[in-house]
Amino acid sequence: MAKEIIDGITMQRALTRITYEIIERNKGIDNLVLVGIKTRGVYIAHRIESRLKQLEGITVPVAELDITPFRDDNNDPNAIKNADLGIDITDKNVILVDDVLYTGRTIRAAMDAIIVSGRPKKISLAVLVDRGHRELPIRADFVGKNIPTSRKEKINVSMSEIDDEDKIEIE
Amino acid sequence: MKRYLVLDDGFTLEGDSIGSPIIAAGQLVISNNLYGLEQTLTDATYNGQIIALTAPANGASGINPNEYEAINPTCKGVIFNSTAVHSKMERDQSLDEFLKNKDIPGITNIDTRALAAHVQEHGQLKASISDTDDEHAVDQIKALVIQRDLVKQVSTRQPYPNPNSGKKIIVIDMGMKYSILRELSYRDCNSIVVPYNYSAAQIDELNPDGIIISNGPGNPEDVTQTIKVVEELQNNYPLFGIGLGHLIIALANECHISVMKLGHHSTSYPVKEIASGKIEYTNHNHIYTISNHGIRDANFIVTHICPSDGAIEGIRHMYRPTFSVQFDPEAAPGSQDMTYLFDEFLDMISSYERA
Repeated sequence: MAKEIIDGITMQRALTRITYEIIERNKGIDNLVLVGIKTRGVYIAHRIESRLKQLEGITVPVAELDITPFRDDNNDPNAIKNADLGIDITDKNVILVDDVLYTGRTIRAAMDAIIVSGRPKKISLAVLVDRGHRELPIRADFVGKNIPTSRKEKINVSMSEIDDEDKIEIE
Repeated sequence: MKRYLVLDDGFTLEGDSIGSPIIAAGQLVISNNLYGLEQTLTDATYNGQIIALTAPANGASGINPNEYEAINPTCKGVIFNSTAVHSKMERDQSLDEFLKNKDIPGITNIDTRALAAHVQEHGQLKASISDTDDEHAVDQIKALVIQRDLVKQVSTRQPYPNPNSGKKIIVIDMGMKYSILRELSYRDCNSIVVPYNYSAAQIDELNPDGIIISNGPGNPEDVTQTIKVVEELQNNYPLFGIGLGHLIIALANECHISVMKLGHHSTSYPVKEIASGKIEYTNHNHIYTISNHGIRDANFIVTHICPSDGAIEGIRHMYRPTFSVQFDPEAAPGSQDMTYLFDEFLDMISSYERA
């Protein structure tokens, strides 16, 4: 049975805090690009972008990334390893945005996709939830909530853009 | 017994005595709190001031000692629109008894609407509670000099711990409301309250995870010692400023502050969080405010404003783990919309430790 562990208000506050931390650690947002990992990472990236715009008056570019061709379990030899980000990321501070950080394999694939598209100055990672159980040496720079879980459990992030409401559930 | 409220511009109003019969004088502030009488009267931010409460029927439910924000109230006097006789329970104290015990004079049945309208027009005024309203009384209040050691009067003299097992938070007591400690206790913080003039080296020695600079009375420019301590500590520890503490953080970073024509003294001021556009209601108690000018040069982002007059209500440093708010996130009295800022502070400490 799914149990709500984070409500909409807490989720919004976590995103606001991530936004402040992004400004704090990048010493400003001039050279920033947000890359949202489909599907919910894109919505989170847009929410961070709108907060940055409110605070700093600058529109930070947001790219959408589909990592499917880069997955390490994608054995299709014909997969075209080409991520069309639609923006130039060369020498930019790229912030990868995803909803849940779990094994780290998605993030590895996303980094592959970014490197294929250009050579950024730096890649950081922002996630709404870090649930632990990494299988690769990857960690997030910006974390909304650390939620300790067991491998049997499942974390569901709902966002009002495509789901009914903002919430995070565990089942 | 008749008593008079005399302002330093000659404006006077007549009312009935309540509480102590002594004569008192101080800065006049108008509050339209509808509830939280005990919390308002015992808030040390009102040290040296005369509070005018515009709500009717004050004290209808007596005085509840569980809602004190300081053991002894330090306001100079209280002006009431009206007070109510309350039906006495066992061990219960009436408003009149409370004021007499604490030796605070009051006047009730005052036309607070006329008073508020007058203050709205003329700005910051000094006031006295007096037995006469003649020229002599006016001259006396004109001659009153507002004290400059208001923080020293209310800050603790010795440090004391509020032990628990969580993060170690040092609270610099500028006239701290107990609710700040309550909020820290809810979050298992291992807090230590220190006097306003505790040195940076002494605080260093306690090895804090984070530092809160509390609310307090008076002009922040008068507490130069605390400003200097903040200058020395702000690069090494996460800081959270509340009320006077917010202004001290601003001054430690060479921001400018100014006196507002109309101070904010109420439980019901809206505050807008700029990042999300969300409006929440908060308790305010301030006549000083940070000026917009120079805030960006000091590398601060404005995070909260008051939409009704545009006053800056919250700032955050761009590169350091420092944020502060002008309003009272601990509420008491008032809306508890913003108590989550204490969680934000603890999250800030965790992410500072992680980075």
